[in-house]
Amino acid sequence: MTPSWILDIFAAIMLVVAAVSAARLVAARPWQRGSVITDTDVSHLLMGIAMAGMLAPSLATLPNNSWAVVFGVLAVWFGYRVVRDYQANGPRALAVGHCAPHLLHSAAMVYMFLAITSPAASGGSGMNGMAGMGGMSGMGALHVPTLGFVFALILIGYTIWDLDQLSSLRYGLAAAVAGAAAPALVSASAGTVDTGAVSRSDAGGGAADATPAGSGEAGGRGSWGGGRSGGMAIAILDSPGTVVGCRIAMGVTMALMLVLLL
Amino acid sequence: MTNVAVAGNRTAWRGRLGTEPVAARPPLDARRALQLLLAAIWLLDGVLQYQGFLFTNGANGFSGMLAGTAAGNPAIIAKPITWDANLVDHHIVLLNAIFATIQLLLGLGIAFRPTVRVALAASVLWALGVWWFGEGLGGILNGGASPLNGAPGAVILYALLAVLLWPADREATAPFVAARAVGAHVARALWAVLWLSLAYFALTPDNRAPQGVNGMIAGMESGEPVWLQDLMKGAASLTANQGLATSVVLGIALVLIAVGVYLPAAIAKATLVLAIVVAALIWVFAQALGGILAGGATDVNSGPLLALLALAYWPLRSIATAPPTVPVVGEEPVASEQEA
Repeated sequence: MTPSWILDIFAAIMLVVAAVSAARLVAARPWQRGSVITDTDVSHLLMGIAMAGMLAPSLATLPNNSWAVVFGVLAVWFGYRVVRDYQANGPRALAVGHCAPHLLHSAAMVYMFLAITSPAASGGSGMNGMAGMGGMSGMGALHVPTLGFVFALILIGYTIWDLDQLSSLRYGLAAAVAGAAAPALVSASAGTVDTGAVSRSDAGGGAADATPAGSGEAGGRGSWGGGRSGGMAIAILDSPGTVVGCRIAMGVTMALMLVLLL
Repeated sequence: MTNVAVAGNRTAWRGRLGTEPVAARPPLDARRALQLLLAAIWLLDGVLQYQGFLFTNGANGFSGMLAGTAAGNPAIIAKPITWDANLVDHHIVLLNAIFATIQLLLGLGIAFRPTVRVALAASVLWALGVWWFGEGLGGILNGGASPLNGAPGAVILYALLAVLLWPADREATAPFVAARAVGAHVARALWAVLWLSLAYFALTPDNRAPQGVNGMIAGMESGEPVWLQDLMKGAASLTANQGLATSVVLGIALVLIAVGVYLPAAIAKATLVLAIVVAALIWVFAQALGGILAGGATDVNSGPLLALLALAYWPLRSIATAPPTVPVVGEEPVASEQEA
């Protein structure tokens, strides 16, 4: 059985991911006119909380079936987005788009919550699910373990790809620093961005794709600009490295959980 | 990325959904792609190392598994393995957590461009250590080695791949990726030595015994999903009492693969395809996908690594006018290469 302190460490990492995502959502000031929030932040926040609950019993929140519904909704949403991306950009959308990894994460979460063969699987709480998780390590705790293995492989693939893209010249590791200046380019009107600004809304491809401002999908943390002093902290929070880092941490942890449940 | 705009008290999706522009990107360098595959395998190994049974000591635990690899090896090889197994037995949780984390970091390090050199170098050292202390040199000295059970030790293939995929260019017009770092002659020699040794191991007395192959396949079925068990049972029945014939056919295939890289590109491609097919067959039917689905794997075993190695020898054609792809930090860009 995998020692609980190791699972606790991964749970703590998930809580950090959730906290970062929450901070990004708060920093977007969704209660103000023209603010921009992102679905990936919402997704990361929920996944961080749910996964922490699976890894550490004391952090469990909702029953497994409730989480399955939540991530089912997210999976449908991101599936819709992937289809739209595919229609617009073709197969490349799956490799370099932003929604495919989130669809995968959401689907993997649904699978995990539904396939656990513990008391939690029959509607118990996440705490039960976690108790089962540790005990089930390497003991065939998932229905259809082959599917779990496939999920783990794809998650690892996306994680490796994310890391490579994060460190490539296209991303530019100085994005966080550059981000401190970028909000100044943002206009105050409804989150639109001046021409020349670059979308930093999602590091899954935001910086890599360097979406020109005003293209309809840009904006990023537009509301952070308009004279508000974000500072370096917000720039780092909003940097591609932060968001992709969260996704990488989530991908590794999710793959770990799937393997432990095989 | 989808943005939600909040205008007034209303929240609305901004932009035109599903029309995110995907910027044109340069093609992924073939060597970098292979490095990423290697990184993925290391990462999977790291995750596998966190499995619960690897945190247990005793004869049936991880330390017992390590100690078992000493059997049949010369004393100079076996004694350090036994010492290491005892050490692990006494500090099983701490040491296995360190082992798992190291492998996790190797995978992440290779994938992260600024650390690729450090991670590849570390992976060579780590792989050599594991080959000795964790795999007993893959059984090559105790007569237990077979291409079907992972000889010459899956982990030594990680080291070989790290060397062949090292981000340096000895030859600007290398005929295949593996030749870029060490040169074509050395790369071909390494390939030939590897596959000829596999051919040799396939034909050792134990492996060509009537039930040699059958027994090896049957021994891997336990705990696997039904569909995989069915596949393996089929393979086991095909090879029942056919150990000699199976070994001879396998040996011939392995020799063909070994010499293939010295042949013209068209024939070389055919032998490389054969190598990938053989690797896939071994991985599925003899290695049960590394035993991962049975929850008893510490790595993916040799099948995927042999296939990855074959891809590193796939003939390239140089395109002198093409711009270099994104280089690894510290790597001098050269004329890019694309698969022929």
